[in-house]
Formats: sequence, structure tokens, C-alpha cells
Amino acid sequence: MATAASSIPVARPRAVGWKRLPVWVRRAIIFAALIAIWQAYVSFRDVNPLLFASPWDTATTFWDGLRDGTLTKPTKTTLLLLMEGIGIGILVAAVLTAFATLTDVGEDLLTLLTSILNPLPGVAVLPLAMLWFGINDKAILFVIANATIWPIAINISTGFKTANPTLVSVGRNIGLSRVRQITDVLAPAALPYAISGLKTAWAFAWRTIIAAELVFGVAGSEGGLGNYINNARLYFLTPQVFAGLVAIAILGVVFETVFGVLERRTIVRWGMKTS
Amino acid sequence: MPLTRTPTKTTSRPAAHAPAGDTLLRADHVQLGYWTPRGFNLAVGDASFEVAPREKVIVIGPSGCGKSTLLKAIAGFITPTGGTISVSGRTSLEPGPDRAVVFQEFDQLFPWRTVLDNVAYPLRVNGRSRRDALARAQEYVELAGLAHAADRYPHQLSGGMKQRVAIARALALEPAILLMDEPFGSLDAITRQRLQAELNRIVDQTHVTLLFVTHSIEEALVLGDRVVVLGNSPSNVIEIVDVRDLGGPETVEYGQMRGHLRDLLAVDKPIADDEEEEVLDGDGS
Repeated sequence: MATAASSIPVARPRAVGWKRLPVWVRRAIIFAALIAIWQAYVSFRDVNPLLFASPWDTATTFWDGLRDGTLTKPTKTTLLLLMEGIGIGILVAAVLTAFATLTDVGEDLLTLLTSILNPLPGVAVLPLAMLWFGINDKAILFVIANATIWPIAINISTGFKTANPTLVSVGRNIGLSRVRQITDVLAPAALPYAISGLKTAWAFAWRTIIAAELVFGVAGSEGGLGNYINNARLYFLTPQVFAGLVAIAILGVVFETVFGVLERRTIVRWGMKTS
Repeated sequence: MPLTRTPTKTTSRPAAHAPAGDTLLRADHVQLGYWTPRGFNLAVGDASFEVAPREKVIVIGPSGCGKSTLLKAIAGFITPTGGTISVSGRTSLEPGPDRAVVFQEFDQLFPWRTVLDNVAYPLRVNGRSRRDALARAQEYVELAGLAHAADRYPHQLSGGMKQRVAIARALALEPAILLMDEPFGSLDAITRQRLQAELNRIVDQTHVTLLFVTHSIEEALVLGDRVVVLGNSPSNVIEIVDVRDLGGPETVEYGQMRGHLRDLLAVDKPIADDEEEEVLDGDGS
């Protein structure tokens, strides 16, 4: 890794042309080109501004939305709801996994529940949630929690089951209690699975909450991002529809980056996952 | 213990020889087996031997003879189906740091802890303060010749270095007896020889009592004071030989002893005639 370069020069095929540029430059160029094409399409093809917003209009609307809070407030609402839902999902998943790890019945129960409920698209239970909880935050929380519990539970449980038996033996040998065996050996050993479960859960929850908000429309205490987009559509504020979509895309990238950093600081650093 | 150059053949109960005060570990007619879907499988039929404090005892036998199973029983991971194992006078053995184990597998280190932390963590678990544990871990990491790699993570180490860390970790616990289960079995020949020399140095420096399982005759002769030879499974102790005063590999005595052990371990050879019950009906494959 960080060892000194070997004295024998290694001939590396010289990259030519496009490949010679750093990744971020290549991406930036493509990104700029796409924006340019988008702008050109709007400028020269005489598109109906009620149906299609230019990148410039989208950008200014986005910026205004950040400044006057019309965009930041729904974003905050959505994120808070998302965090709460995922939080509940993690808690329930932890209880289920603990039960599955400690008892045989729990293991069978978890396997069965997961195989039935995991393939179910998150929004599919929304009508039921609306029946049970009414049209409010609770219904959305229920839907998000349901979307996150299963991928997290099944991943952590798999991580526990596939933990290296030699490490478990070492843990017993150095005198770990049963509790510390779980917290100090099994949990870190299952971390690659836990992170991958969390990533899946986040992706499910993110899609689910936006979809649920779109369905809900204006109802609920305060509208979230999906609601913001739906409202804009209702009043033909097309640049706002676009700005809402941009916000969703940016948040998606941000979360991916956060997970990337988390992985690099833990499992990649420890050699438990190749980057 | 008499220091003899010639192989000493022990009688059926070697445990009766030494006075009790001189014994750290005593295996008395230990029988080990495990259940398979097809029935009970006997791995070790009858093993008796003992280890005195500061002694280096090697258990050697053909592959599949149950020598690793025997070590696991001493470590407390499995319970003998017959006979008794006593360590420092205790016979009910749960796994514990007084019998620290070095395993064969390279992945016995915690990947999420640095070298230093891998050695310090078990000390913390066993009640030492953070500062105390780190100071002590540093000492043993240096003893194992790994001071330069103390901050590395296990995946940045070679196989040989990983095994050294595992040895440092086990020794730092100051075990009553250090149990090693073919720790060099997965290393290349050169690294293996170097680590054998290292181990000899470290064991001499720390005066730790050692029980070392291997299938390599050379390893047994390089490392051991005495060698416990197991036969084919279900195995018995065929012979216990004293090898502490052998010269180097170039000497006649060494060659003779190596030949003798080779004869004992030759799989197709009939087992020595003082072995009773060499065939146990039906439970082999």
C-alpha cells in the first residue's frame, strides 16, 4: 500500500485523450454539456414554458426557494419525517434481529416476515396506512418504517450469522461476556452488512416518502417535498416542479456521499470491503 | 524430568510419574468425540500426558488424528467425553485467558482494531486500565518485533506478521499456558522457519509454558522440550519423547530422532505393539 515505489519501473499504458482527464473533470464536462443542451432546447425550440422550464429558470427558482424558505421548509419536513421513520425502522429491526439471533423461533419468524414483506413496494401499504392512521404524518411514518425494517433486519441477521467463527472463538478465549461478544465482536463483524442494509433501507424510504407525499397532496400538517412538487403542478408553476426534482436529486447525491464517507472510514479502512 | 537423548518410551500412565506439584496441565485418559448425523465419532480414544511449568510440549500426529480437538478441549471450547483435563488443579474448564490460544487462521485478529489495539483490547476486557493496557500491549508488540507496524490494521499485514500479532496478544494476557494450534501451518517455508526461531526467543524470554500442536516433525524438534506423539484416529498417545537436548539439524541425534518420529507417524505402518485397543469397532468412517 503505502510502501515506497519499487525500483523497477513499471510501464503503465499511457492514457490518451478523454481518459487522461481526471474523473471529476470528465463528469463536470458532461454535466455542463447536458445543461447546455437543455438550455438550447428551451431557447431555440419555442417550448411551452408551462410544460418545460429552462435550466436558468429552474436555478433561479431553486435559489429563491432556498432564500425565502418555500423550498427549504418542505425539504426539512420531508427529511425530519424520513429520519423519524428510518429511526423507528432501525429500532424495530434491532429488536427483531436480537430476537432472531437469540431464539430459533425468532429466526424462522424473521425469515418468513422478510420474505413476505420485503418484496412489497413501500407505497403499496399506503392505502392501508391511511385507513388505519388517517391522512397524516403517522401514516407516512408507518409506510417508511415498513420500508426500512426488512432490508435492515435481514442484512444484520445475515451479518451475525456469517461472522467469522475464529473471531467468535477468540472472543470466548479472551473471556468476553455474552453481551460484549455481541457488541464488541458480532456487531463490528456484521458492519458491512449493516451498512449495506442501511443503504438499501434509505433508498427504499426515500422513494417511498416522496411517493407518499405526492399521493397525500396538501393534507397533513406541513407539506414535504412531494407535496411541494404536486402543488406547483396544480398551479402550473413548472420551474418549481423542476426545482423540487433538483432538490430531491441533490439530497440523493448527498446521502450517497455520506454513506461513501462512512464506508471509507470504517469497513474500507479495515479491509472488510474493497473500495 | 530426566534429560535423555534417546527416545523414552512411556508406559500407559505417564501421569503417574511426576509429583502433582510439578504439573501445570494434566490430561488423564482423555477421550474426545463428536456427534455426526450418522452417529458418534471418536476422535481421541485415550490421551494421557502432562505439562510441567515452563515446559514446551509439542503434540504431533497425522492429520485428522484429533490433535486440534485435544487442544480445543484444553482451551475449554469442547468437553471431553471421557477422562479429565486439569489445568492448575482446575478440571471444569470454560474458555478463558489463562489458556490463551493462537489459532492457525490468519483472520483471528479483529480487522477493525490496529495491531496495538488488538493486543491491548483483551487486556482491557480483563480489567486493566486503558493506559496500563496500552503500555503493556506496546511492550509485547515490540517483543514480537512489530513496533513499526503498531498502528496498522490487520489487512495491511502479511500472514507471518498477523501470526506474530496473535502471539503477542496471547502472551500479553500472561496465560498459565500458551496454546498454539498449528499457528505456522499456513505460512511459506521460509517465513515458517523464521517464526519458529522468533517463537523460541520469545518463549525463552517470557518463560511461558507452551503446548503446541503441529504435524511437522521438524517444527516439533525445533520448538519442543518433549513431544507427545498421537496415532491415527481414534488416537492414543503412542509415545512421549524428550527432545530438549538434541543438537541442531546437522547432528546425528537429531537425524535419529527425526527418523524415529517419522517411523512412528508413518500412516501405513502398524502401530507400536504396546498399543492396546488400536481398533475401535464401527465408529470410523
